[in-house]
Amino acid sequence: MADPLHQFKIEKLVELPDVTLPLIGKVDLAITNSHLAMTVAFAVVVGFMMLVTSRPQVVPGRLQLVGEQLFGMIDNLTDSIIGHEGRTYFPFVFSVFTFILAMNFLGLVNIPGVFAFFTATSQIAVTATFAALTILLVLIIGFAKHGLGFFKLFVPSGVPWVLLPVIILIEFVSFLLRPVTLTLRLFGNMMGGHVALKVFAGFVGVAALGAIGWLGVMVAPLSFAMVTALTALEFLVAFLQAFVFAVLTCIYLNDVVNLGHGH
Amino acid sequence: MANPDLHAPVAGETHATTEAEHGSGGLPQFEFQHWAGQMAWLVVLFAVLYVLMSRVFTPRIRGVLDQRATTISDALEQARLVQEEASSQAAAAQAELSEARARSQRLASEARAKAAAEAQVRQAAEDEKLAGRMAEAETRIRASRDAAMSHVAAIASDTASAIVEKLTGAAPKGSDLTAALDAAKQGAR
Repeated sequence: MADPLHQFKIEKLVELPDVTLPLIGKVDLAITNSHLAMTVAFAVVVGFMMLVTSRPQVVPGRLQLVGEQLFGMIDNLTDSIIGHEGRTYFPFVFSVFTFILAMNFLGLVNIPGVFAFFTATSQIAVTATFAALTILLVLIIGFAKHGLGFFKLFVPSGVPWVLLPVIILIEFVSFLLRPVTLTLRLFGNMMGGHVALKVFAGFVGVAALGAIGWLGVMVAPLSFAMVTALTALEFLVAFLQAFVFAVLTCIYLNDVVNLGHGH
Repeated sequence: MANPDLHAPVAGETHATTEAEHGSGGLPQFEFQHWAGQMAWLVVLFAVLYVLMSRVFTPRIRGVLDQRATTISDALEQARLVQEEASSQAAAAQAELSEARARSQRLASEARAKAAAEAQVRQAAEDEKLAGRMAEAETRIRASRDAAMSHVAAIASDTASAIVEKLTGAAPKGSDLTAALDAAKQGAR
């Protein structure tokens, strides 16, 4: 049975010389399959948006309708969570959403035995970058809008002063954990799903090779059904995780955009 | 620690660096020499995507959405105007109709009255004519009766003279006859 983790292996496609940066150390600049996956996802998103917006019609065609649905979904999200300033942050949230969505969906492209697309969002480096971008934006907006008033984020109003130290500690830790949870949720979901798919697909392969004898007659169809069902589930997860990331981005942005009112 | 410390951009790293201790044998995701390249490339791609989204795609879609909203509201407004016009026209038509009905009723009653008056006049004329004719006829009847009555006197005198002549064999004198007839006439009264 093939190693289910092999699919996450970074393969160098184009060798580039390593560079040594201060603070960071040795960095391998090689173009890898992860780079390729990100670039294809980027191209898909940009291509899709170009198709959607190249000839906008008042009465939309099918593709334009799909684009507008996605747009409207995230637009509603930013509007309802962040409020009237939501439109300012819409492009960021929409970029995050579409980019992650494209990477997730591309990761499900798989022609067995021929070609399997690399899932960029199963790389912690990728999900951590998204999380870092989001949290950095939150921090920048927080300090730019409120200065040191940003720290009021950790002091909820209406809390008895006795509880305040505990609450502040909890709030602070939860804030610190936000990027971690953002990173690991997306990474874990994508990787877990793909490992499960690979494992069950491996069972089919093993059974087909006859390695488990007549037991394979039972195992193979079961595993195959499982792979099919899991693939459907993975499509849901792929969409859902992108959406969850967008929702959380909105919530975190809302915390600092509307700091002090409505909390 | 063989792997480079990639502490810089990620707040979520605390978790990752602890894992790095037992890096190479585990998940491929923790091969840290590949992190920086992926992160840098992703940041570049994301920056380009963000600029495209905020400068090109979002305004375009917002534009078409706004255009659609204006089109719809314009159409609704126009429909409202048209409907108002239609309802006002309907009211006008209704008023016209009721006016016409009143006019026709007036006309009908006038015609009826006129016809009745004419009929009355005609009736009166006819009545008069009939009355005239009746009077004329009565006059004629009276005349013919009188004539008949005068003939009766002549017949009576003729008859009386014939009877007297038969009885006496001699014709009576005219004056005697006349006196006898007058006496009989007196007696019959």
